[in-house]
Amino acid sequence: MALLLSFEQAPPISVPARFLFTAPLFGVLAGLLLAWQGGEALATRWHPTTLALTHLLVAGLMLQAMVGALFQLVPVVAGGNVWRPLPVATLSHLLLAGGTLALVGGFLFQLPWLFLLAAALLGSGVLVVVAVVGFALLHAPGRGATLQALRAAIVSLAVVAGFGCLLAVVLATDIGWPLMETTDVHLSWGLGGWALALMSGVSYAVVPMFQLTPAYSRWLTRVLLPMIFLALGLISLPLLVDGWAGLRPLGAILLLLAGGLFAGETLNLQRRRRRKVIDTTYLYFRGAMVCALALVVAALLLPWLPGLSLDPAAPVALGILALVGVFAAAVNGMSYKIVPFLVWLHLQRLGGLKRLPPDINSMIPERRARGQLLAHFLSLAVLLPAPWIPQLARPGGLLLALSCAWMWWNLGGALRIYRQFKRQILAAAESAES
Amino acid sequence: MSTPVVIDGRGLQPPAPMELTFAALDKLGSGEELTLLLNCQPFPLYQILRREGYTWQEQWDDGTCAIRIRKP
Repeated sequence: MALLLSFEQAPPISVPARFLFTAPLFGVLAGLLLAWQGGEALATRWHPTTLALTHLLVAGLMLQAMVGALFQLVPVVAGGNVWRPLPVATLSHLLLAGGTLALVGGFLFQLPWLFLLAAALLGSGVLVVVAVVGFALLHAPGRGATLQALRAAIVSLAVVAGFGCLLAVVLATDIGWPLMETTDVHLSWGLGGWALALMSGVSYAVVPMFQLTPAYSRWLTRVLLPMIFLALGLISLPLLVDGWAGLRPLGAILLLLAGGLFAGETLNLQRRRRRKVIDTTYLYFRGAMVCALALVVAALLLPWLPGLSLDPAAPVALGILALVGVFAAAVNGMSYKIVPFLVWLHLQRLGGLKRLPPDINSMIPERRARGQLLAHFLSLAVLLPAPWIPQLARPGGLLLALSCAWMWWNLGGALRIYRQFKRQILAAAESAES
Repeated sequence: MSTPVVIDGRGLQPPAPMELTFAALDKLGSGEELTLLLNCQPFPLYQILRREGYTWQEQWDDGTCAIRIRKP
C-alpha cells in the first residue's frame, strides 16, 4: 500500500523542533561528563556515572529526538490528530528534559529525592506523550506497517517508563526488589521495544522516500513486531514467575535476531536504491545498520568467548555500540532529512506558489554534515575500546561532545534559514498591503 | 495544441517533484494541465494547490500515482 503523506494536520514547526534541537544538547552533556569523569565511567555498566551517561543518551538524546519525530510523523504519515500539540509539546518537553536531568543528578550524587523527582517528572512526561500520541495513533486512519510500528513503540515507551519509575523508587527507598533483573527488562523494552519499533516504523516511511529505495518487504514488516513482542515477553515473564529464568536468554536471542533482520533488510534496500547519490543520511544509516549487525554478532558470540563472557567491560562496549553506533547515528541521519524537509514545507505553506523556499540541500550544506558524521564515527571508534583502555575515555568523551554540538549547530542552520525566509515573506506581505 | 507536460517525480527526492511542479505550473496558461507521476499521494502539494485554486485528479496504476493538475 502506498504511503499517505499528509500535511493538512501538521503541527507548528516549534512542536517537533523543540525536541529535535534539545536532543543533541544532551549528547554534549554526555560527552562532557565522560571527559570529566574519565575511564572509571566505562569500567562496568553498573557504575553510577555509567548509568548517568547512559540516561543522558537514552532519556536525553534519543527520547527527545524520537518524541519530536513522533509529534511530526503521527499527523503527517499516519494521519492522526495530536490533541492541542503546542501546549502538550511544551509540557512534555519540560517534564522529560527536567526528569532526565534529575535522574542524571540522582545517579551522580546518589540523592534519593532526585530519583523520586526524576520518577515523577519522567513518568508524568511519558504519560502525557503516551496518552496524547497514543490516542492520536489509535484513531489514525492509516493501516500501514508504519502505523502499527508506531503504536507498538508507544506501548513499549509506557512499559519502559513504568519499569524505569519502579527502578528509581527502588534506588531511592532501598526496598527489596530484584534490581539487576528488572534493569535488564527495562533495558530490553527500551532498546528492543521502544527504540527498535520506532526506528523500524519511521524507516518504513522515510528510507524509501528520501533514499529512493524499494519499499520494505512485506514479510519483514509482518514478522518484526511479533518477534519483538514475543522476545520481550520471554525476557519479562521470569520477573513474574519463579523458575522461568531460562526463558530470558531465548528472548534476548530472538530480540537480537529481530534487530539483525531489520538491519540486514535496510542494508539490502540501500544497495538496491534508485538514487545513487551518497549523502550524509545514507552514510549515517549505513553506518548504523552495520553497527547493528556487529552488535548482534558480538552479543550472540559473547557468552561463548571464555575471556570476555565475564569481563565487566564487554557489556559497556556493547552499550556504546548500541547507543552511539546504532541509535544515535540513526537519529542523526533521520534528523538531517526531517529537519530541512520540515523547514521547506512550512516555508512553502507560508510563501505559497509565488515564493519558493530555498533549496533544501542548501539548508544544511553537505560538507558540514559530512564533517559532523566523521566526528560522530570517530568518537565511536575511540569510545569502543575505551572500556579496556581507560586513557581513551576522555578524548572519546570530548569527541562525542564535539560531534553533538556540531549536530546542533548544523540543525540550527536550517532553523536560521527558516527565520530569515519567514521574515522576508512577512515583509513582502506587509509591503504588498501598504 | 501544445505538448502535454509530464513530470516524472518517481526517481526524485522530496521536495524536488514539488519544486518542478511549481515551476511548470507557473508557465501554464489558464485552463492548461500538467501530469505529475509519483509513488505516493503528495498531500502537502494538494494543500497548496487547493489554496491557490487549482483542481486535480489522481489515478493509481501499478504503484504509480498520476496527478493531473489543471490551472484555473
